[in-house]
Formats: sequence, C-alpha cells, structure tokens
Amino acid sequence: MSQRKRSKGLGYSQMTDGEDDSIPTQVERRSQDQVSELVQFLLVKDQKKIPIKRADMLKNIIREYRDAYTEIVRRADRTLQEVFGLQLVEIDTKRHIYILINNLPRAEGEHLCRGKEKEKMGLLLVILSFIFMKGNSVKDSALWEFLHLLRVYPGKQHSVFGDVRKLVTEEFVRQKYLETTPIPLTDPPEFKYQWGPRAEKETSKKDVLSFVAKMQGKDPTFWASQYSEAEANRATT
Amino acid sequence: MSHTGHSGESPPASRRRRSRPPHAQEETAEAEAAGERLRQLNIEEGDDRERNRMIRSQYRELISTVQQNREAMLNSKSNRLTEALEEANRLFDGVCRAREAALDAHFLVIASNIGKEKANELHSEMSAFDSTAFAEDLLTFMGINRTEVEESDDCEDAPGGFLPSDAWQTMGEEAPKYFRRAPTFHYMMGSFKSEPPAPKQRIERQKKASRGKAERAMPAQLKRMEESHQEATEKEVERILRILQTHFENDPNTPISFFDFVIDPNSFARTVENVFHVSFLTRDGLAKIKLDEDGLPIIEPLKPSEGGEEDSRAGARNQVVISLDQKEWKEIIETFQIREAMITPLYQSTDEDMETE
Repeated sequence: MSQRKRSKGLGYSQMTDGEDDSIPTQVERRSQDQVSELVQFLLVKDQKKIPIKRADMLKNIIREYRDAYTEIVRRADRTLQEVFGLQLVEIDTKRHIYILINNLPRAEGEHLCRGKEKEKMGLLLVILSFIFMKGNSVKDSALWEFLHLLRVYPGKQHSVFGDVRKLVTEEFVRQKYLETTPIPLTDPPEFKYQWGPRAEKETSKKDVLSFVAKMQGKDPTFWASQYSEAEANRATT
Repeated sequence: MSHTGHSGESPPASRRRRSRPPHAQEETAEAEAAGERLRQLNIEEGDDRERNRMIRSQYRELISTVQQNREAMLNSKSNRLTEALEEANRLFDGVCRAREAALDAHFLVIASNIGKEKANELHSEMSAFDSTAFAEDLLTFMGINRTEVEESDDCEDAPGGFLPSDAWQTMGEEAPKYFRRAPTFHYMMGSFKSEPPAPKQRIERQKKASRGKAERAMPAQLKRMEESHQEATEKEVERILRILQTHFENDPNTPISFFDFVIDPNSFARTVENVFHVSFLTRDGLAKIKLDEDGLPIIEPLKPSEGGEEDSRAGARNQVVISLDQKEWKEIIETFQIREAMITPLYQSTDEDMETE
C-alpha cells in the first residue's frame, strides 16, 4: 500500500500487485531520490568553490548503491543542466574530482555575488592574464612584483582582500583556479604559478586575451604568439 | 687490492688495516715488497684523495655560485652560464671517480634548468608583453587619479596617484564576464536554526527604548533642581542686597535692625532662609552687621571698595553663629512688633516653584 503511494509520486511502474517490491523498482525509486540528494549535495558543496571528490559523494549520498554510481551521477548532471543551467565537470579523471560550472552564455548585467566574490574574481582575472601573457608559467617572485604595481603586497594586509598571500597561495590554489609547483633545486625554494584546471574550464585563453586587449586598448592580434596560442586552444576545447 | 674499493673517506677499520702491513713487512721479504707497493699506493692514494677533494670543492663552489647568482645568469645579456659550463667542462677532465662525477651531474642539472628558464624568457620577450604598461592600464581602468599624490607610507614603491577605495569593485564588475562561474547556492531565507535569536532581539530593543525614555526625562528634572539650588540662591542674595540698599538709600541715617530685616512674621522657614542669604552678604563684604548702643544687631550695606579692606585689616571680621528656634522667633516678633517682612517673599510656596517654567 505505502509502496504504491510512493510510486505514484515518481511515476514509475503501474503495478497494482502487492508484490511490487521487486528489486529493480525499489532501486530505481531509491536512486531517483539519490539523484535529487546528490544535486543538492553538489550545490551546497560548491558554495566554497572547492572541488568535490567522488569519495565524498559516495560516502554521503550514494553509500550502498555504488554500482549505480555512474548512472546517478549522469542523471544528476542532467538535472543540473536542465534545471539550473550548470554542468558537472570532472577536472581530475584519475582522482575523480569534480566542479560545477555555468553552462549558460554569459549574461550582461548584474551578477549576484556575495561578499567579496566579485573583487576576488577581479584579482584572479588579473593574475590569470599575467600568467598567460608571460607564457603560461610565472615564478612567484615575478607574480608578486607585478602585483606590487597594483598596490597589492604579500606582506601587507589589503583593504579589500585582507591576507593576499593566503588568498593567492591557498584559496585560489585550493579552488583549482591556480596551480603552484615548486621549482626544483632552488634554494630558498621558489614556486611557479600556472592556470589551474578550474580556470581552464571556466574561462579560456581567448577570453583572457580579449580582456588584456580591452584594458590596453589594442587588438588581440597585437600579441601574435599569444593570439595564435589562444586560437589553437579554442579549437581543442 | 683492497685500496681500489675505498671511496675516499677512510673508515677507521681500513686505516687500521693499512697501518698493520708495515709491521708485517718487517718479517718477510715478500711482505716487505708488498709493503713497499702498499706505501707507494698510499702516497698516490693520498695525492688522489687531495686532488679529488679539491675537485669536489671546486664543483661545490661552482654550483653555489650558479645558484646564488641565478638572476644574473638569467639575464639574456650575460654570458655567465656559458662560462660556468666551460668551467665545469674543465673540472671534469680531472674526474676519475663516481663521487666527483655525481657532483658534475648535479651541476649539469642546475645549468640546464637555468638554460630552460632563459629559453622561456626568450619566448615571452618575442611577444613583447609589457607587464608594467598592463599594470598602468589596469589602474587607469580601476579609476586611479594621477593628479593627486597619495599620502601613504608605501609612497616609495607606488606610482604617483590616488587609487579610490572602490577600485577593485570596478574590476569586480568587469571580471565575471570572462568566467563561466556557477552562481553559489544559498538559501534565501537563511537556515532553519536562526529563528530563536529573533525574539531576543525584539525584547532587547523594547528594553532599550524604555530605558531611553526614562533617561531622557531625568536630565530635564535634574536641570531644574540644579537651577533652583545654585542660581536661585545667588539671585535671592542679590535681590536681598537690593532691598537692603533701597531701604538704606531711603533713610541713610537710620540703621536697619537686623531682626526687622530678616524676620518674616508669616513664615519661620522663610526667616531662616533670609538669615542664610544675608550671611552671604556679610561674607562677601556687601553688608555689615554690628551692634548698636543697645547691643542689638543692626545691618547696613557696604560698598565693596570702601570699608571692606579696612575692616578686614582691622580684624573686624568675625564669625558669628546665629541660632534661632521657633520660640525665639515668636518672641522676637512680639518684642519688636514686626508686622511685615522687609524681605518680600519671592515665591508663594516651594511646590509652585517647580511648576513655574
């Protein structure tokens, strides 16, 4: 009886028999709940923009239905796309780490952002542009030297960003916007910065180049090698 | 022989081994020859060891130089990397063992890293990206005012100009256009748990409101009391002085009896007040109380400039305590037949005092 009530809501089989606790139906019903739960889980996890691990998904949501994992994730992705206009993207196929990105074309006008999100994105965009224009990889000393020119100092508390060093070396790196690798055989140890996988998915070299061009009032083709790199990059993604 | 197995550092055991053969050599000729050979090898080994130590130290010096002057080496105009490589090449000629060769390999790794960096820099220079100009353009976009010079402690490294506080907000308006960032999900009404605190706030606000009103009422009352205390006294004293002066002017030759002056036949309380106020006059030297021929006190006003100094020098200033109770008051009224108060009362009653404002 109770089973029939539930199945009515989900629009599954119209079996009137009392014996419709056959395994496929139960699993299907349960997995649909799980899809919804997973969608909510992903939305909440995305608040801090820290990539989501598959292990967390399995532990908190899917639990005993590990076999249905791929199916559940696929359906969750479809829901995210159709209902929210978001997309679930795997940025690390080996360790199975995911992020949510926006599927919709960028809308002009007010973007609702909390706290200092927008300003942080501004700083991030500036950093990503610098890295790209300098050949996709910069030393940390070069990056900070550049940020100095913008009155942003690693040792000094910034009026907008607070502890900038922490923001750049920890927050942006954890969110996978930036990637930092130590330069071998340097003493004291130095690091180099590159685009992180989230940056690769959320923006493109072409977009960043157009930003630089806009700021400097020049045509993107002014920087020949960067322009050709951006075009080639666009073709592959 | 066992010597070839040694790798430079002579462990104590082998040292002991080497020192033993010389003793053995004394016994047999064979051993002697062997010992001789051994000694020669020892000397060579010593030279070798010395030479290898030198090579190693030279390599280490080269490596440290390269590491410390990394920035200088990277400069495209400098040839220092090539020079270092040539130096290493030269040193390598003297290398015959793995240990020194390892150092050589270490150096090679460092040199090739620097070489790679130099090559990278060449690449970006070709595309001519001027990061300084880019920074200037960014500042312009963020609304920097270059006519004003910013007064701050980091004036030395900042280019002249005042960066407004909403600079990064301006950038923040532009930036989202370039990202496909998923908007973050937040509950519009907040989470369920935040309800209990709300009623508390309301109660606090009410308390604050009522407290505020009470406080506001207080100062008004206090003020009036203050006034009635101090200023009223002063005013009263002045008024009494004027009454005294008026009476004296009307009839300067007749001294005014003290009792006639202060006693109010209609109110004992006001009499006491009058005495109190008159005492101020005498204290300030504005009035004088003395005894007449009959030994009764009389009062007359003084011009402060006039008799004041004289009297004080002459020691005529006395302190007198006057006590008056109701019985005496009545007796005085009877004796002196005081019908009306010379000091006209100012107020009808103390209650009315408060209401008049």
